Amino acid sequence: MDHEDRQPHRIPTGHGDEVELAIFSPKMHQTHFPSLQITGYLLSIILTLLAFGMVAYHWMPMASLIPVILILAFIQAGLQLGIFMHLREGRGTTWQIPVLALAVSIGLGIVGFSIWIMMFKSGVS
Amino acid sequence: MSTTTTTTTLPPEFQDNLESIRIMGFWVFLTTDLVLFGSLFAVYVVFRSRVGLGPTPHQLFSMGPVLTETLILLTSSFTCSLSLYSARKNRVKGAISWLVVTLALGMSFVLLEIREFTTDVLNGHTWHQSAFLSGFFTLVGTHGSHVTVGIGWAIMLAIQLGMKGLTLTTRRKLYAFALYWHFLDIVWIFLFTVVYLSGIA
Amino acid sequence: MDIKLWTLHLLKVLFPPQVLLPDIVAIDIGLTVATIVIGAYLTKTRKWGWLWHEWLTTVDHKKIGIMYLIAALIMLFRGGVDALMIRSQLIAPNAHFMGAQQYDEVFTTHGTVMIFFMAMPMIFALFNATIPLMIGARDVAFPRLNAISFWLFAFGAILLNISFSIGGSPSAGWMSYPPYSELLYNPGVGENYFLLSLQIAGIGTIATGINFLVTILRMRAPGMSLSKMPIFVWASLITSSLVLFAFPPLTVALGLTMLDRVFGASFFTLGHQGMPMMYVNLFWIFGHPEVYILVMPAFGVFSEVVPTFSRKALFGYEAMVGSLLAISFLSYGTWVHHFFEMGAGPTVNVFFGLSTMLIAIPTGVKMFNWIFTMWGGRIRLTVPMLWQLAFIPTFVVGGATGIMLAAVPGDYQYHNSYFLIAHFHNVILGGTVFGVLSGMYYWWPKMFGWNLNQRQGTWAFALFVGGFWLTFMPQYFLGFEGMTRRMATYPAGLGWTALNVWSTVGAFVMGAGFVVMVYNILWSRMHPDWDTTGDPWDGRTLEWSLPSPAPEYNFARIPVVRSRDEWWSMKQEGRTDEVKTSEATVRPIHMPRNTPMPIMLAAAFFVGAIGLIFGWFWMAILGGVGVVAALAYGSFADYSEIEIDAKKVLKTEAQLGRVES
Repeated sequence: MDHEDRQPHRIPTGHGDEVELAIFSPKMHQTHFPSLQITGYLLSIILTLLAFGMVAYHWMPMASLIPVILILAFIQAGLQLGIFMHLREGRGTTWQIPVLALAVSIGLGIVGFSIWIMMFKSGVS
Repeated sequence: MSTTTTTTTLPPEFQDNLESIRIMGFWVFLTTDLVLFGSLFAVYVVFRSRVGLGPTPHQLFSMGPVLTETLILLTSSFTCSLSLYSARKNRVKGAISWLVVTLALGMSFVLLEIREFTTDVLNGHTWHQSAFLSGFFTLVGTHGSHVTVGIGWAIMLAIQLGMKGLTLTTRRKLYAFALYWHFLDIVWIFLFTVVYLSGIA
Repeated sequence: MDIKLWTLHLLKVLFPPQVLLPDIVAIDIGLTVATIVIGAYLTKTRKWGWLWHEWLTTVDHKKIGIMYLIAALIMLFRGGVDALMIRSQLIAPNAHFMGAQQYDEVFTTHGTVMIFFMAMPMIFALFNATIPLMIGARDVAFPRLNAISFWLFAFGAILLNISFSIGGSPSAGWMSYPPYSELLYNPGVGENYFLLSLQIAGIGTIATGINFLVTILRMRAPGMSLSKMPIFVWASLITSSLVLFAFPPLTVALGLTMLDRVFGASFFTLGHQGMPMMYVNLFWIFGHPEVYILVMPAFGVFSEVVPTFSRKALFGYEAMVGSLLAISFLSYGTWVHHFFEMGAGPTVNVFFGLSTMLIAIPTGVKMFNWIFTMWGGRIRLTVPMLWQLAFIPTFVVGGATGIMLAAVPGDYQYHNSYFLIAHFHNVILGGTVFGVLSGMYYWWPKMFGWNLNQRQGTWAFALFVGGFWLTFMPQYFLGFEGMTRRMATYPAGLGWTALNVWSTVGAFVMGAGFVVMVYNILWSRMHPDWDTTGDPWDGRTLEWSLPSPAPEYNFARIPVVRSRDEWWSMKQEGRTDEVKTSEATVRPIHMPRNTPMPIMLAAAFFVGAIGLIFGWFWMAILGGVGVVAALAYGSFADYSEIEIDAKKVLKTEAQLGRVES
């Protein structure tokens, strides 16, 4: 491309375009009608109202309620990532996926471990 | 009527290598922001029961406005994705219009949140009152200020789209903005679940 | 009259009694004179334009690397002087060379400066100076962001460093634990300086992490797959990923403390059910990965230095990469060992004690690999190699005492004693500082085009390392004798005096080592030993295939990489002409244009921070507006580039003897 020629420090340096780890190869989505977006939107509304309904109308005991609405939240986050954020798009290896996975695990670790540590009641003290 | 196909041709945002690297950089920035929110969530969850003489979550939250805020933000996420969709169809006017709708929804979200906060403060529930309130205002406020920054960004982006049209650079900026906006939506989903729903459950 | 009162009030805020001590006033006068002299010199020689165009607005990673290095050496001086003040106070019992308040300020500044404003920029200096050259790239992924990172660091450093003469220094230690760091117990602006300066530098650090992660993942030369990257590049990649996820918790910890102090929130206060221990938890979620952020690059440096000066390929490349990954992963799960005594309970403590001990395994793997690389090699005892050799025993002692500290019941005995002080100086000085100094001597000719005198360098090395052992070995025993950290003074008759005398003598020997090092640099600058080959050490990796210093575009022709030590293979297989360019293949090169936006942005942050520190909210808002304006300017200005046309590239390359006929 002309544009690329003009910008030699933009020369694809091999690893811009190479897929180094097969599981992180990019997938593009192209749709003729934004059906995917509409599906995502409807699903997110349904999931939100479902979680809200569960809490407002006490559909289940507390002990199982919190895990269930958390699972619903994770499903919805997955929808946002997959449909709206085009997680698997990229040029060359989609490095955002492993980096994001690491960030999610560390974020969850911070929350989980902090709760565990700051309870001050593990074992016999 | 519609088909979803997976192809190996590069979408316009990735056709220029350097612009695709910038999108990658923005993804990485979002992951650090995710850990920032993770830390704030940790603070909130640990402080949740430390209410002192202030209100408990159950006493503080009213679900009506919060549900409205959630629906507004989800809708804005949808309109944002339509803006990017229009850009990919090379419809610059569509892209700008959906972007403007998105930022209008974002503004109404922020206004509702400000109203919620103002009500709390006028009732005497400032963040000085308890560790729980400090954690609550900071976590939700950090998200709100992210949305506010996003609105400022969307305004500048709409202007640039109007001035320059869909170039490699403005396409990349729109893509990055969309990532940012959807990311804030994800954060809100967890705020809604962990702070509000768990708070009144 | 009102104005007079207001001025008096302002003077009282800016110059409280603690900054009017005679020694501080003397330093103030000295600094003012120095500033005037430098300003006059720049004006007289008409160098302001040069300074602005060549340095202050540059986006060239090589120049940014040099600026980081200079800043880090200045901060090493500042932190070192603080250390000598601490040791001078402790040389004798009941000494009152400084008051307790000033002593607190000095050790706080020492720790903060050394970790955040000496070690971090030293590491980033090496990243900037070498990474693009090692991976065959013309610049980093985000050159302007790179400049922003540097200027945020620089203004953060300025902020912390002016605190002792304007408003008062922080005094709560480099970890700054609440509730002591809260307003109730620590009024005044010192603590605010600490919070804001680290916050600003921290934003820059995160940006550097993003920058180098993306640079390494996306900008490598064709053929340089992950498994062909030099280990220093691997170490930098992993360090960057640690930075990304370690700094946000610090941002939160500092930010919440600031909200407590400046805006009256109740996070870590004792009243209103605040929870000071949550700060400690957040701080160490950052703090433990941070020590690996500090030491990984040193591991990387040694993995380059050892093969070069042993003339052998690195032993166990895969094990080296694997152990780096293992260390970085484990380092996220050990933070509680900094506060076993909090009382989170035995299960928590045992979990984190064990995870801490596990780190010794991959670290041991690395030690053996370096030794096996040397085994049977033809070793040259150059200055970088000497630092490496000193590193091995020093770091092993630090690691072994670390295992002692990781044992929970033992830690109840050692914690916050001089044993701990000796331990972490052993790993941070013996690991990070020896590492970055080794790297500095190793890459110095590549950065500046002339080499450092080796004989003087050896002297500096000997004094520094000898002084180091003399300083810190007695401190282990002081810890056993019960001397706790941060004591401003101690009574006679506890059996501590002799050990303290040795320790202080050692500190001054180290100081002498630093002085010799500076002399070494200045002398070598005056009597330059030009590096005309670009490959003074007979190196192995791509940066040595370039002239010293590299031209602004680094590579006229991007190399195609075929093996791990690509430059070594080229030399062995007689392929060195592959780095040369020719009239037929030369192309114009586009490089990013210099921009004043980074320094403006950082200055706006600085103004806003001053506003928050002194509680002048109009000024904080002004700074915020400045930040937004700088960002908007950056967004609307075209990210324009300059073109270096093919003829000019050819001419430059010809002068360097790099054109094929």
